[in-house]
Amino acid sequence: MLEDLRKLGGVEWEIPIGYTPHMKVPGKFFLSDRLAAEVDEGAIQQLANVATMPGIVKYALAMPDIHWGYGFPIGGVAAFSLDNGVISPGGVGFDINCGVRLVTTPIREEDFDNRRELIERLFRAVPTGVGARTPHKLSRSELEKVLIEGASWVVEHGYGMQEDLVHCEQGGRMEEADAAHVSEKAIQRGIPQCGTLGSGNHFLEIQAAREILDVEAAETFGIAEGQICMMIHCGSRGLGHQVCTDHLKTLESSTKKYQIDLPDRQLACAPLQSKEGEAYFAAMAAAANYAWANRQMIMHNARNVFTELYGIDYEEMKLIYDVAHNVAKFEEHLVDEKRVELCVHRKGATRAFGPDRPEVPREFRATGQPVIIPGSMGTSSYLLKGTRTAMEKSFGSTCHGAGRVLSRTRAKKQFKGATLKKELSEKHIIIRAASNAVIAEEAPGAYKPSDEVVRVVDEAGLSRVVARLEPLGVIKG
Amino acid sequence: MPFTELEHTADILVRVSASSLEHLFAESANAMFSFMHEQREGRSVMRKLSLEAADMDALLHDFLSELLFVAEVDNLVFSDIEVSISGPTLQATVYGEPFDPEVHAGGTEIKGISYYGLQIREEQDHHFVVEVLFDV
Repeated sequence: MLEDLRKLGGVEWEIPIGYTPHMKVPGKFFLSDRLAAEVDEGAIQQLANVATMPGIVKYALAMPDIHWGYGFPIGGVAAFSLDNGVISPGGVGFDINCGVRLVTTPIREEDFDNRRELIERLFRAVPTGVGARTPHKLSRSELEKVLIEGASWVVEHGYGMQEDLVHCEQGGRMEEADAAHVSEKAIQRGIPQCGTLGSGNHFLEIQAAREILDVEAAETFGIAEGQICMMIHCGSRGLGHQVCTDHLKTLESSTKKYQIDLPDRQLACAPLQSKEGEAYFAAMAAAANYAWANRQMIMHNARNVFTELYGIDYEEMKLIYDVAHNVAKFEEHLVDEKRVELCVHRKGATRAFGPDRPEVPREFRATGQPVIIPGSMGTSSYLLKGTRTAMEKSFGSTCHGAGRVLSRTRAKKQFKGATLKKELSEKHIIIRAASNAVIAEEAPGAYKPSDEVVRVVDEAGLSRVVARLEPLGVIKG
Repeated sequence: MPFTELEHTADILVRVSASSLEHLFAESANAMFSFMHEQREGRSVMRKLSLEAADMDALLHDFLSELLFVAEVDNLVFSDIEVSISGPTLQATVYGEPFDPEVHAGGTEIKGISYYGLQIREEQDHHFVVEVLFDV
């Protein structure tokens, strides 16, 4: 499978220039031999395609959860020079700022009762699946403010606490957002959906912190063994999908206008310093802000369920951190020993900034940023910390999840939703989903083992494990 | 079956074949909606669409994207799609019914239509084939 590729040692692999025509830099990815045996050839080809894009710096990178997507592979990271580089929706995806947040509660596992009732109430409080609409419909002018102010707008309107904002990547708001580049269609889709989860691999999961592997970092992040936590995974909903669709069309024309030769139409792009490129960036940032507001609103509604059911205080449920995993951002990185500003695309990859970066909240700055890596349904999720090695090797990036190995079709053939539900129930994991089909599609067996993916990022030094969390209950669309 | 699902690790990839471009477009839309809703029968609502694009691949991309938009914003489930194409212009009449969670919930939400591999081919006289990748 990995013929023509060079193993650099350990878990690092290189796709040499020439693997596909017009590569400007080599490709580089991180896989153990066990994961390499299962990797899609399509994903490797997509990574090589990224290496052909104008202004790409150092490498086209992929994390250990690399799998076959469209445009960039999922798990792909690429940094572009501001002088001659490009921006591409294919390097961000349709679900702009799909991301994950981790919230702690004061409840200890041994005191955690009423689980089934909790999951039922969460399922009612957080709209999921196709056709779901929020009970907190925004007005048009409110939505426009959300696009500019992100999570801070919803917090100021009673859906959270100020400290939540500090614990979001980018403070839950990209300043470059400009609603003028968000279409009327995207706005119409955004109005009824803020506070909804979506379907597919999106979830809200109740977990217990089972294993603390870095006591000092765990203390800094505010997590202890046996603590009940909540993880939320979702993105920018129809608004973000529409922003991608709209700008993909514009950038398709720019690709021709700027005479950029690409091996995949989905890599459509424009120079960062062009009006089309700037327009996409501003719209993408607005959609990213909507996603932070969406996760904030979901967390708020879920916190209310906890306070009602367990009589705990809202303020006792702390947001550890919120990470984006489908986004492009301007960041400073060291290239040939010089600090340069680059546009870093992460598609199914997580920022993992190490110690001393000003972007990381003050209380975490000596440790490195918290990194949240969800497992597949029914398997462990992880809290990690960013590293200096990630700054050197991967533009401060790590993986975003377990990564699929089986298509949804195969998963549905191989697994039955009802059986899985029963099996998970025997492990004391409660599942509430809109259908059994979605459970089968998201079966743990359809994913790479999250333990192995996390072991590889730890071995490569892209992030270090702080704590392992195990699922107790999950709601899905 | 006018479409078959192909292997794709992350998303939904389908191969659609039809005896005319019009049928190819309609069947691609049917494929898309079949993943979103298991049951689609009602015809109480009708919508008309008119689109233009630079080439047929882009026209198919825009057509599916537009249907996704209309279905979501108007909260509709489409079951019957009629298409006519003349030069770069597409006219479509689509029939459906309002989304009812009791009947239509539980499917897979489609986030967008990818350009990846989207190339309409005429394999023999009047036999058209295309692969469409839906991001889910």
